[in-house]
Amino acid sequence: MKLSKSKKKKLIMLAFVMPALIFYTAFVLLPASGGFWYSLTNWNGLNPTYKMVGLSNYVEALTDDMYFINSLLFTLKFVFFMVLLQNTIALLLAVLVESRQKSKGLLRTIFFMPNMISMIIGGFIWMFIFTEVLPFIAANTIFKFLDQSWIGNPNFSFYAILIVSLWGGVGYIMLIYIAALQGVPNNLKEAARIDGANDFQIFRHITLPMILPAITVGIFVTLNSSFKVFDAVYALTGGGPGRSTQVIALNIFEEAFSMNNRYGYASAKAMILFTIVALITVVQLSLMKKREVEL
Amino acid sequence: MEIKSFKQIKFTELLVYIVLFIYLIFTLFPLLMSFLNSVKTEGEIMNSIISLPSKLQFKNYITAFQKINFLRSLWNTLVVTSIGVSGIVLFGSMAGYKLSRNSGKLSSLIFGLFVMSMLIPFHSIMITLTSISKNLRIQGSTVGLGLIYIGLGVPMAIFLYHGFTKSIPREIEEAAIIDGCGELQLFFKVIFPLLRPISATVMILNTLWIWNDFLLPLLMLVDSDHYTLLLSTNMLFGRYNNDWSSILAALILAMLPVVIIYLLLQKNIVKGVADGAIKG
Repeated sequence: MKLSKSKKKKLIMLAFVMPALIFYTAFVLLPASGGFWYSLTNWNGLNPTYKMVGLSNYVEALTDDMYFINSLLFTLKFVFFMVLLQNTIALLLAVLVESRQKSKGLLRTIFFMPNMISMIIGGFIWMFIFTEVLPFIAANTIFKFLDQSWIGNPNFSFYAILIVSLWGGVGYIMLIYIAALQGVPNNLKEAARIDGANDFQIFRHITLPMILPAITVGIFVTLNSSFKVFDAVYALTGGGPGRSTQVIALNIFEEAFSMNNRYGYASAKAMILFTIVALITVVQLSLMKKREVEL
Repeated sequence: MEIKSFKQIKFTELLVYIVLFIYLIFTLFPLLMSFLNSVKTEGEIMNSIISLPSKLQFKNYITAFQKINFLRSLWNTLVVTSIGVSGIVLFGSMAGYKLSRNSGKLSSLIFGLFVMSMLIPFHSIMITLTSISKNLRIQGSTVGLGLIYIGLGVPMAIFLYHGFTKSIPREIEEAAIIDGCGELQLFFKVIFPLLRPISATVMILNTLWIWNDFLLPLLMLVDSDHYTLLLSTNMLFGRYNNDWSSILAALILAMLPVVIIYLLLQKNIVKGVADGAIKG
């Protein structure tokens, strides 16, 4: 028996894809669909028997569970500040670094370095800064305002988490913007300068429109990473004091693994996180696409 | 008039320097502080936290080296990372290449299935992933952890390889087939070397990710003999532990491998990360 040519081609393709597909199915697709299934049950992770409970996990999470709702709001606030600050600072740094002749490479290397370090380590290092170094500086110099309860007071620990996340994240977005800036053709800028445009006008009317796709990427990456923030919070505050700085990922983690092992209920929360991330990603991408066309 | 614009230029230049300088301090200050205090005694940390150490002493490092079981943890991290990365590069390139060369319905369906996963946050699958790995009896082993990373990392790699394959002319394959080259031989002898630039990007991105990942090892590794560097460091950190001298030394030790590699391969890493971000 001889296989037709197209059938043979298909089989070869499947053979090439199969190893990747097996790993992907076992460790992503199955957990994802299993998670959805369990979110409709009252499974506790240990008991082999469980009951279907319909959408009641979702209803409980969104109406009854103050800790979860607070973690949603806290995460939203964090995401808002991150998208705004991380992209603004990164763009500013990218423009300034690119304007240097000699120090360009060195500055880029240093500014990106925190990104190499795990945010667990980064979080612990900053914990040292917040709990030991800053109070010491405040007590011994004129910078008295630094003496805050950075970790213990929820109002300040929000900023502590924000500062650590920016420290770790800005360099990455800056790289994206630097790459985009290098793609703006010089002759366009020179032509504008000959026509009498100043630096700011050149940036506003030539550079900015041309790097808009990169800004889409920057915002997209920040949205994605900050909705899923875990390491920095885990290392810095552990969600505390109390549960006041608990982000969504940490809330799910505790629900499933350290508090009450309610796997089914925690799965429903995980599905809510999935829906938020997927929706925002899709909406934001289509919005930014539209704006790029208009320009 | 000329003098004024000259002054203005000076002023903006000064402003640029100030902004860059402030951010430089912000970036380096925590690293510098932790290093300086890691070579002080506990008493000296308490009394003069911001001054230079009176004399260098590396006793903290010996304590930290033992406390985080440095060599063991480093080895475990290496095992997990190398299994993960080599699986991702191998299987990702095979799949990405073939999916890119076949334009049928089936191949775009499979490709879509992989790409879709980029919308799924890890936290949405971690609960079921943990129970699946328990059932597969790979929970608790570093090899098993490496295998899980293959599944998690392969979609992004496929996406990158899929795009890159388009830049390889088909004539090369046709010539090789005429020469009597089989499919596997064609891939490993001809195509895979041509994919090298994108393989470098995939390797860099995934090494950084796996090396620095914390939550998955936290869920998977039970026994402290199997702990990665990050897990061992985390162990040191009881919430009420304030023995900063050895903790700081441990933190420096734990980040040393990445920082050294970064400073050595800085150009490649920056390029790889930028490429990955733009194409992803």
